[in-house]
Amino acid sequence: MHLTLVINSVVADEVDWRIVNYWSEWCAPCRVEIPMFNALFNDLKASNVSIVGINFDEDPRDITLDIAEELGVEFPTLTIEEVEELALRAPDVMPTTYLLSPTNEVVAKLIGLQSREDILNQLAELGIAVQIN
Amino acid sequence: MQKLISNFKACFLLGILFSSGFCSAVIAASANSISVSLELLASPAPSNSSLSRLVRDEAGQVYLSWVNQDNELAQLVYSKLMDTGWSNPIVIGEGADWFINWADFPMLSVSNGNMAAHWLRISDDGAYDYDIEARFYDEKNRMWSEKRVIHTDGVSAEHGFVSMLPISEQGETNTLITWLDGRNTKAGEEYGEMTLRAGIFDSLGETLSEWEIDHRVCDCCQTSTAMTAKGPLVVYRDRSSDEIRDISMVRYSSGEWTKPRTIHDDKWQINGCPVNGPAVSAKDDQVAVAWFTAKEDTPKVQLALSSDSGDTFSEPIVIASPETNGRVDTAILKAGAIAVSWIDITEAHAKIMLSLFSSQGVLLHTSVVAKTSASRRSGFPIIESVGDSVFVTWTDVGETPQVKVARLEFELN
Repeated sequence: MHLTLVINSVVADEVDWRIVNYWSEWCAPCRVEIPMFNALFNDLKASNVSIVGINFDEDPRDITLDIAEELGVEFPTLTIEEVEELALRAPDVMPTTYLLSPTNEVVAKLIGLQSREDILNQLAELGIAVQIN
Repeated sequence: MQKLISNFKACFLLGILFSSGFCSAVIAASANSISVSLELLASPAPSNSSLSRLVRDEAGQVYLSWVNQDNELAQLVYSKLMDTGWSNPIVIGEGADWFINWADFPMLSVSNGNMAAHWLRISDDGAYDYDIEARFYDEKNRMWSEKRVIHTDGVSAEHGFVSMLPISEQGETNTLITWLDGRNTKAGEEYGEMTLRAGIFDSLGETLSEWEIDHRVCDCCQTSTAMTAKGPLVVYRDRSSDEIRDISMVRYSSGEWTKPRTIHDDKWQINGCPVNGPAVSAKDDQVAVAWFTAKEDTPKVQLALSSDSGDTFSEPIVIASPETNGRVDTAILKAGAIAVSWIDITEAHAKIMLSLFSSQGVLLHTSVVAKTSASRRSGFPIIESVGDSVFVTWTDVGETPQVKVARLEFELN
C-alpha cells in the first residue's frame, strides 16, 4: 500500500509532527498496537510525520533497546534525556500515544489501544490530510 | 522517642521534604487537635535496593521486605524492626531469572511466626510470561519450604499482582493469596482475558483451595486484600465488556466468594492498563478502599468507607485531583482513623503524601512524607499502621536506588 501525505501546514516542510507512543513490555495492548505503528512508521517515512517510542518503564538504555527488539519495535525509541526534553506528563494509562506539533505542543492524547484508522483520523483532524493510493 | 532518635540517628520533620540522608532538625506540629511527628528511619536496605513493602504481625512487629539487585541477580530480603533497630537482613529467595517490575513486585506476609513470600520468575517459553514462585516459613518446624509455583495451570503466561493475607482456619494459620492469572490470555489466537484467582495455602505451602474469582479483570493493576469481620475482602480493577475499568470487590466467607461488586461507578472507560491498583484496609467491620481513577483524563485519588465489612460503601471522597498519579495505599490506625497515601505531582518533583481521616471520613491532617520522583523507578509507596503510627516505605531514585522508611506518629486528642 502506498501512502501519500498532503500536509496543510505552513511549516510542515521544515519540521516534523511527531507521534509519540508509550509502550511497555508487560502491556498487552501495547504489544498489539506495535505492529500497526511499525507499518505506519514505514508508510510515513517520506512525510513530515514521524513516529517515536518511549519505554514507559524508564529502564536503562541497553535494557530498553533489548526490550524494544524483543517487542519488535521498528520505530526509534527515545533516550531518557530526550524524553525529559519533551516534558510530557507520563501517561496514566498504557498504552498512550501523544501527537506533538512541530513546536512540541501536545495536540492530541490518545489513551488506550489505537488502530491505524484512529491515528490517521487524528492526523486528518489536525489538518494533515492523508491520501492512500 | 529519644531512644529511637539515638538508635536510628533519625530526623524529625513535618511539612519539610527530605529526599535522602539524615538531618538534625526536630520539628513537631499539630493541627486540628492532631499532633504529628515524622521520622526518617535508618534504612536496612543497601544501595541498589527497591520494591519495598511493609507488613506487621498481630503483635505489631513491623517487617520490611525489598529486592536487592546486583547485575542480573535479584534477592528478596526482609528485616524486622526491633527496639534496637532493624534486624540483620535475611534472604528469602534469589534468582537471575526474575521478572523485576516497578508495579508488580514481591510481597511478604507474616502471622503467628509463619511467613509467606513471593516473587515472579520468568517462565521458559515466553519473554513476557512469568510464574509466581513462593516460599513458606513454618514456625513449628522453623524452616522455609522449597520454592514452588503457586498456580497449577502450567500455562506459560503472565501471573502476578499478588496480594497475601494470613487467614486462620481450624486453629491453623494459613495464607490467602490472590493474583492475576493470565492462563486464559493464551487460550486462543487473540490475546484473551486476564482472570483473578485466589488460593489458600498452609504453612508448608500446600494448596488447600483454589478458585477463579473473576473471569475478566484489568490486566496490569495490583490487587489488595484485608481481613474484615465477615471475612477476607479483595479489591481489584475490574474490566467490563465495554472496557469500564472501575474498582470491584469480592469477599470470602464460609468457603464461598461473593459475586464481584463495584465499589463506585466511576465509569472510567479505557482500552488500556492504568497500572494503578486499589488498596484496602480493614479493622473489624470498618473498611477503607482507596483508588485511582481518571475519567475524561482527569486523575483522581478517591476513598470510600464501609462500616459493615464491605456490604455497603460510602460515596467516594476525592482526596487528590488532578495533579496526582495515584499509587495509593491505605491503613487503619488503632483508634479507627484512616491513613491514605498517594503521589502528588503538583510541582517539578513528585511528593509522597499522606492524609489522615476520621472513621467517618473527615479529613484530619495531611503530611508531605517525602520528595520523590514521578518516574516509574520510584515505585509504589507502601504504608502500614501500628497503633497510632504509620510506617511508610518507598524507593529513593538518586544515583542508585535505595529503599527508604519513615514513621509518622499521630497523637489524636
